[in-house]
Amino acid sequence: MKIIIIGAGEVGFHIANRLAHENKDVVVIDHNEQAIRRVEESIDVQVVDGKGSSPAVLEKAGIKAADILLAVTDSDETNLVACLFANIISPATKKLARIRNGDYDKYHENFRKFAPNIDTIINPEIEVVKIIDGLLSVPGAVDVSKLAGDRVKVIGVQLEKNSRMAGVRLIDFPRILGSQRTLIAAVVRDEKVFIPRGNSKLLPGDIVYFVSQKEKLSDTLSLFDKYAQPLNNVLIVGGGRLAVRLAMLLEEKSIHTKIIEKNKNRCVELAEKFNKVVVLCGNGTDQRLLKEENVGDMDAVITLTNDEEINILASLLSKRMGARKTITKISNFSYLAMMPAIGIDQVVSPRLSAINTILQHIRRGKVLSAISIKGEQAEILEAEALETSDIVDKPLNRISFPKGAIVVSIIHDNDIIIPTGDSIIRPGDKIIIFALSQAISKVEKILSVKLEYF
Amino acid sequence: MRWNYILNIVGILTFFLGLTMLLPLLFGLYYSDQSVIPLTYSIVITVFFGILIYASCKNSKTDFITQREGMAIVAIGWAVVGFFAALPFYFGGCFNTFTDAMFESVSGFTTTGASVLTNIENVSKGLLLWRSFIQWLGGMGIIVLSIAILPFIGVGGIELYKAEVPSPIPDKLKPRIRETSMVLWKVYILLTLLEIFFLLFGGMDFFNALCHSFTTMPTGGFSTKNSSIAYFDSVYIDVVIITFMFLAGINFSLHYQMLKNKPLAIWRDPEGRFFIGLVILLTTIVTLNIYGNAFETIGQSIRFGLFQVVSIITTTGFATFDYEKWPAMSQLILLLCMFLGACAGSTGGGMKCIRIIICIKYCYKELFLFIHPHSVMQIKIGGKSVPENIIRSIIGFLSLYIGLFVISSILLSGMGVDFITSFSAVAAAIGNIGPGFGLVGPVENFANIPCLGKWLLIWCMLLGRLEIYTVIILFVPEFWRK
Repeated sequence: MKIIIIGAGEVGFHIANRLAHENKDVVVIDHNEQAIRRVEESIDVQVVDGKGSSPAVLEKAGIKAADILLAVTDSDETNLVACLFANIISPATKKLARIRNGDYDKYHENFRKFAPNIDTIINPEIEVVKIIDGLLSVPGAVDVSKLAGDRVKVIGVQLEKNSRMAGVRLIDFPRILGSQRTLIAAVVRDEKVFIPRGNSKLLPGDIVYFVSQKEKLSDTLSLFDKYAQPLNNVLIVGGGRLAVRLAMLLEEKSIHTKIIEKNKNRCVELAEKFNKVVVLCGNGTDQRLLKEENVGDMDAVITLTNDEEINILASLLSKRMGARKTITKISNFSYLAMMPAIGIDQVVSPRLSAINTILQHIRRGKVLSAISIKGEQAEILEAEALETSDIVDKPLNRISFPKGAIVVSIIHDNDIIIPTGDSIIRPGDKIIIFALSQAISKVEKILSVKLEYF
Repeated sequence: MRWNYILNIVGILTFFLGLTMLLPLLFGLYYSDQSVIPLTYSIVITVFFGILIYASCKNSKTDFITQREGMAIVAIGWAVVGFFAALPFYFGGCFNTFTDAMFESVSGFTTTGASVLTNIENVSKGLLLWRSFIQWLGGMGIIVLSIAILPFIGVGGIELYKAEVPSPIPDKLKPRIRETSMVLWKVYILLTLLEIFFLLFGGMDFFNALCHSFTTMPTGGFSTKNSSIAYFDSVYIDVVIITFMFLAGINFSLHYQMLKNKPLAIWRDPEGRFFIGLVILLTTIVTLNIYGNAFETIGQSIRFGLFQVVSIITTTGFATFDYEKWPAMSQLILLLCMFLGACAGSTGGGMKCIRIIICIKYCYKELFLFIHPHSVMQIKIGGKSVPENIIRSIIGFLSLYIGLFVISSILLSGMGVDFITSFSAVAAAIGNIGPGFGLVGPVENFANIPCLGKWLLIWCMLLGRLEIYTVIILFVPEFWRK
């Protein structure tokens, strides 16, 4: 299994890291010395110094033997040209490219059908907008992922001090909740992810991940004392491409939206794009401006500038001034872990989304989708149970499931089953598995997909 | 400013005007009435002076004209054309003074339709046709016509076009200005022919159908009858005239698009939609207001209400009823219509809907800025933002329009004309409507205005037809500095 990654930026680096841990042969191409050194020093991969768009460099990296090419540089054009040459030199190689410019949106299908025959186009901005939309629509959630074609949701919520779930052991749940059952997949405490056992207690401040059917979501959320609140007023700080996509969506939903953008000319451009969105020229951290625009009455403040320090500051300020919910864009992964500590709970990261999407597509064998939790500590996998697998046709409590992994849902035909020890997986069922990162390769093995994998 | 060049083109225009008098002369000869001799005199004089001006200002070849020169040519050209077009009326003995003849001629060319003729039906047919024909020429613009058919004006065409057909948001239908003019004139002629056909179909005789079509399509409003359209007293004719007044009030480039297989062009256009909505709204109010008051049946209220609203808002000025007998509210709405006007790029006058829309949006923007002082907002028409300079020019236009209206009506009242009359006469002149209220109401005419007042109104009509800037610019000293 050989994978070539062009671009050793944040996205390229983290994918390389992940794949290397999963024992794949990875070649990273970049022409920035610093980026290359960073890869060489910390990951066990081969590095090629050069421009990814150059056919000579691609051949040097061994494109002819590669199964997958990931073009994830910051430049759409470089990515496109790299795929174009890869298509000429080695048509059999699967190609994934990150393309972000909205002007290309219409042509994604063309890129797929004709040269450069890109198999998958990743636009993290579209993904992030979907994620933000999810966060806005699920009250109190800090993380929302959709699986099984949006029918199952994996939700992360933070336990409040006065929540009735706080201090309760998992085995006591049925006694407290009666017939309403829910499956706690994972708990994040002190920046660590673990899978709770029956006698684990939930503590205030924990982020609890659970799985829910779409229709029962609001019932389940009410267990955690999170109730749906109307979303009428949204403030977006920063007027980049991401903000435009999001504001378009909100405008369509008739939500009163305001955008604060620093650059006067960009403001004029924005004002031309929108009909109802109010475009404000100013600084997102300007308290007077925030007060003038009643930030305290906002249902959500979403900070999307390219400067994460400003995003963090603006989110904290708006929260202090009374905004109900804040969503902060963070690009630097090293910041992600400390966000809850400083009081920022909802975070989106285009790069993390890109990684999720790419992983999902790389694993596209029998694994249907993959979602990262808490940076890279855990993953949610959606897979199909094969006949040849060890896990089918016997009760779950008799399967030797790897430590650090848990089956959280079984989708049988169209029914979604929250499994107990007695549940049985049938061939052809889809299962959703929550796995800590060290357990992922074992999970893949037990799914018996290894032979067919790629 | 190259006077040679300006007068040279004005000479061509004059010559051209002389030739257009051949059409009424033909009718005069056919009916063998008293118009033959005055028309012949006029043709000779006009053509002679045209050639004289042209030849005496023969200029060296030039390949461009400036915007300033373009405006001067159009403004001076219109005044000169108004003068020569008055000759047949003066020689024909319709009026005692030349002032009256000039008033009638300018009122015709500017498509105003305000008349000083006390007994229209006494006038010979050749002159009546000339009276309607000059409205038809003035409606689409005599200079646009010259650009379309006279090849030697070709060079500076665009500047002349911009000065004569000022549009707040310019749209050029074809890559070349000559072809654009040609297209507009073709649409105009086609609609006129259609109207003639429908009027003939309704039993009107050919002469009257021709004359009324010549004055409906340019939204002029001259009639061959003393009592205007009321003379025919036919629902069918009312409906035909309402339809064509309405069509004439819509941007002609939209008509062109509709002919080019885009049947919904009018509805897709924000201004067209606004105009349609406005007509429906105002008609409903007027109809409800006059129902049971001036008329017994709802049908009659709609018939007369709709006719009058469309007639005034398109700035045509035909009348089927003495609206001064209507309740005050209806009269005030008609007064409002005088200011609103039709769509830009139509043959109608007034302030034009597009300017009203932009002005409303501008006011909203100003209010919005009080609420969100840091906001950035773009004024948009049909999803496209309107550039700042166009907005500024529109605000300037509206201020000048109101300002000149106020000053002119004060001057007119200073000449001993009563309040309502001076107010509405100026509004009707500057908006190119025709009838006003009081002494200049739909059943009276402008004959009672003092001589000096008539010259004031002539000036107002030219201002309104050339959309203020082209005329008023001649009175800015800076314009004449080298």
